[in-house]
Amino acid sequence: MFLRILKKDLKRKRTMNVILLLFIILASMFLASSVDNLIAVSGAIDRFLEISKVPDSFAIALSDGRTDAIDSFLEAQEGVLEYEMIDGFNLINGDVKITECQADAGRTRYERTNTLFIGKIPTNFMKIYTEEGGPLTLKPGEIAFPRLEADNNNLQVGDKVSIRVGGEVQEFRIGAIVKDAVFGSSMMGFKRLFIGDEEFARYARQENVVHTRIYNVNFADEEKFRSDWRKQDFTIISAIEGAGVVRMCYIMDMLVAGILIVVSICLILLAFLVLRFTIVFTLQEDYKEIGIMKAIGLKDAGIKGLYLIKYLVLSVAGALAGLACSVPFGNAVLERAIANIVVERTGQNLMVKIVCAAAVVGIVLLFCYLSTDKLRKISALNAIRNGSDGERYRAKSPLKLGKRTRMRPYFYLAANDILSSVRRFGTLLVTFCLGMMLILLPLSAANTLQSDGIISEFSLSPSDAYVDTGKGEAYTVDMDSLFHDMEEVESMLAEEGIEAVTGADMGYMIPCYTDDPEDCVNYYVLQAVGNWDRHYSVLAGREPELANEVMITEMTAKELDAGIGDTIHFKMADRTEEMIITGTYQSMMNMGQGYRVSRSAQMDPAYAGGILCMQVEIEGMESEEACERLREIFPDYRIMDARGFLDNMIGGIIEQIDTLMYFIVVLVLVINSLITVLIMKTIMAKERGDIALLKSIGFGDRSLAGWQTARVLLILAASVVLGTVLSNLLAPYLIGPIFAMMGGTSIELVTGTVEAYVYYPLLLLAVTGLTAVLCAGGVKKVDLKEVNDIE
Amino acid sequence: MNTLTVKDLCKTYIINKRQNNVLKNINMEIRAGEMVAVMGPSGSGKSTLLYTISGMDHLTAGRVDFFGQDISTLSPSEMSEIRLNQMGFIFQQMYMLKNLSIYDNIILPAYQSANGRGKEKRREINDRAKELMHKLGISEVAAHDINEVSGGQLQRACICRSLINRPKMIFADEPTGALNQQNSREVMKELNRINAEGTTIMLVTHDMKVAAKSDRVLYIEDGNIKGEYTFGRYGGQEEDREREKKLSVWLMEMGF
Repeated sequence: MFLRILKKDLKRKRTMNVILLLFIILASMFLASSVDNLIAVSGAIDRFLEISKVPDSFAIALSDGRTDAIDSFLEAQEGVLEYEMIDGFNLINGDVKITECQADAGRTRYERTNTLFIGKIPTNFMKIYTEEGGPLTLKPGEIAFPRLEADNNNLQVGDKVSIRVGGEVQEFRIGAIVKDAVFGSSMMGFKRLFIGDEEFARYARQENVVHTRIYNVNFADEEKFRSDWRKQDFTIISAIEGAGVVRMCYIMDMLVAGILIVVSICLILLAFLVLRFTIVFTLQEDYKEIGIMKAIGLKDAGIKGLYLIKYLVLSVAGALAGLACSVPFGNAVLERAIANIVVERTGQNLMVKIVCAAAVVGIVLLFCYLSTDKLRKISALNAIRNGSDGERYRAKSPLKLGKRTRMRPYFYLAANDILSSVRRFGTLLVTFCLGMMLILLPLSAANTLQSDGIISEFSLSPSDAYVDTGKGEAYTVDMDSLFHDMEEVESMLAEEGIEAVTGADMGYMIPCYTDDPEDCVNYYVLQAVGNWDRHYSVLAGREPELANEVMITEMTAKELDAGIGDTIHFKMADRTEEMIITGTYQSMMNMGQGYRVSRSAQMDPAYAGGILCMQVEIEGMESEEACERLREIFPDYRIMDARGFLDNMIGGIIEQIDTLMYFIVVLVLVINSLITVLIMKTIMAKERGDIALLKSIGFGDRSLAGWQTARVLLILAASVVLGTVLSNLLAPYLIGPIFAMMGGTSIELVTGTVEAYVYYPLLLLAVTGLTAVLCAGGVKKVDLKEVNDIE
Repeated sequence: MNTLTVKDLCKTYIINKRQNNVLKNINMEIRAGEMVAVMGPSGSGKSTLLYTISGMDHLTAGRVDFFGQDISTLSPSEMSEIRLNQMGFIFQQMYMLKNLSIYDNIILPAYQSANGRGKEKRREINDRAKELMHKLGISEVAAHDINEVSGGQLQRACICRSLINRPKMIFADEPTGALNQQNSREVMKELNRINAEGTTIMLVTHDMKVAAKSDRVLYIEDGNIKGEYTFGRYGGQEEDREREKKLSVWLMEMGF
């Protein structure tokens, strides 16, 4: 008999059952894909570093390719378990030329985003993987590019480049795009290209070519090794670092993954919300029938069994469909977040999804059990009365129509309904609110990274143009060439009648200590050079002015345990400089570590590590125009505005966040629309009698559709306001820490923009409103005679 | 002038792929100010007739003129306007919106009409609603929730709502069907009073006592109007016994 009743119920209440099924599919899809993605993303970097065999520490230095002091030091260290040197060559812009580019046919100029290194495919430490996650193999004449370098130059597999090292020029076909665990992250300012052994040998056999050597070390005692290393005073390009720093460099990539985690958590929350809403709602629909069943003598257990079987059938069908949908949905969400990371997608992922789908079935049955369990306490008559005991002594209507002198009735009905049934419409409110937050939080990160002031947080003073001459490393050897190039830029601009001043920040990698000369830390010391007298933002104290003054970042101050007024020491080959700390600042470069000295400080050029760029300030010109003019006059230089420069420094992360933003906006709009349709259909199915009643007293279809639409729009408007307030309140706690980890300890997040307050709210209102209008058209199908269906 | 003229009205339902003629060539007239009751056995088509000629349901063939206008040709929005401003409906079950108080349910159609916009007009509506509620004796439950009042009070509230826009005609489907005798008498008293004030009323009923208070009774069977009994204007409670007796005899003749 149960099966007969079930069959009839599924057929008779088709609309509500279809809606319930859709919600179960949605919940299974969200839950399965989100949990799977969360697992994949949360441990992905650690797994990637592990399979790539990232050493305990590594350093980069220039070498003659034979023996060197670091090699001897490592050889002699007892605590070193294993070490390996990877040889290669640094490349500057002119060394790489594009000879064939499918996406940009006429392109020959190669623009490197970072320090560029070419070497053999690593076999022990710092292994690399193809985009599919497999090991890299190259055919003769092929080269592999990391994704960020390839994208920056519009290169793809099949394109050709010629590379010059010393006097040897070889042409390569791009055979693969690779993922490089150590240097592949957006923040890592060093990128590697890979070629075969034979091609590498052709470069290496040349005499007098400077090699770049990466030293990989695994040690038994980190403390002792670092202490011994600090005593050595090696001249290096990059300090001894380890997996911790590599992991930190993925912060920007993890920002994208972090956003994905927030999206996933929101989707899971949404899944539970919609489930609860639908089950409670559909069961309320059945109260009358349950009452009748009780009245004719069916036992509670029997009634409960009937509903449990019905919900089991629906939930299993929905969970299976949701499981199938979760695969493409989850992959689409994950794809954008893990561009630079190898994520293992194994059979275990399917297991996770199956468990999630099964959990949905369990949750549906649990909700059903709890909801039907309540009926045990209600008499048959009260169940027939839809769970109401008929005793109410207070008017329910929170708004009084008679007191509204201007409000249109359909609008009044909408507002009154929401206030009367806050819990019923709470699902929509939470959904829309989460959607708004999902948009505003990453938007705040993107806007902060694109704000005018952000350049100051990268240890720079803003300027009209940022010039990459392609000679960054060359200036470290011959600093006069930098002054020459800056003067040349100024004079050539003067010839064009443009008054300009140039400047740059030279970075020195100088060991520094507070008290113990044998306990040094190596961070970049920045010093402004050029004619432009610039000022830098400080958090406390003042900028250094005298030769023995320095300001340090807050993170370095913490590490050195030093503050304003204290003295630190720069240990250079021939002398040690005592420097007095005059102020602290924040910097999102070098993971928040560094110093800045005055222009008059005496720095040893032997420690020079390069400049970020040459900056140009042009009198009476906006940045865009200045860049345009500079591009015309200096076609060989790479001219960038602030955003372009920042993008270059942090590896296109702004573009990634922008792309992710579009994805999130589309996702939010789709979810909003879907939930709007489902909830409106659900509520309309229950309100058919009320709609018919309003029709009978003269409400037209337009007014009725207006009533249904206004409810959604009112909730959306409230959600937009609530979501905006919550985003602004939570952004410092959710987005702030990411900047803080990079060194931006006191970053002021950009929240109140036109996009946040006007564009996205209007977009949400327009799309969700349109969905609601289309859905509200369903009132036309309600027959006036259905007035008799009012309960 | 006739308020309502029905010509050759047919209504067909398709049930289980078979045509069912519920109303068959109905011809009738209701004059302005008249109160007409429709009686007949269950399933004879009484309610279908009421819903079809009031424009709440589509007719299959024929024509219904409401104050000379063929309402079967009107668009849904034109029909809504007529229902809002010229017709009033009372149902057997006292349908009202659950989230609104009794008072707000009553004034809702008036606020919805074109005459319900503006502070001054809304003040007039509020005055009228209060006056109607006072006349029907439900002023004290104005602010109540619909679950807090008796069936009779609720039905009187429904009558107030149907009258709020000063309709030309009221359609009532078993208006006393869900009420006890006392409440039933009170509701009919109000309908007679409204009718006496000039509002045309057509009501469907099973109750002889209710039908006896109308000017004319139509008897419908198998979708046809089988007979018509004319009392003339209702003169008051003292006529009740006589009218009920006459109606009883006629209905027996009709086979009721």
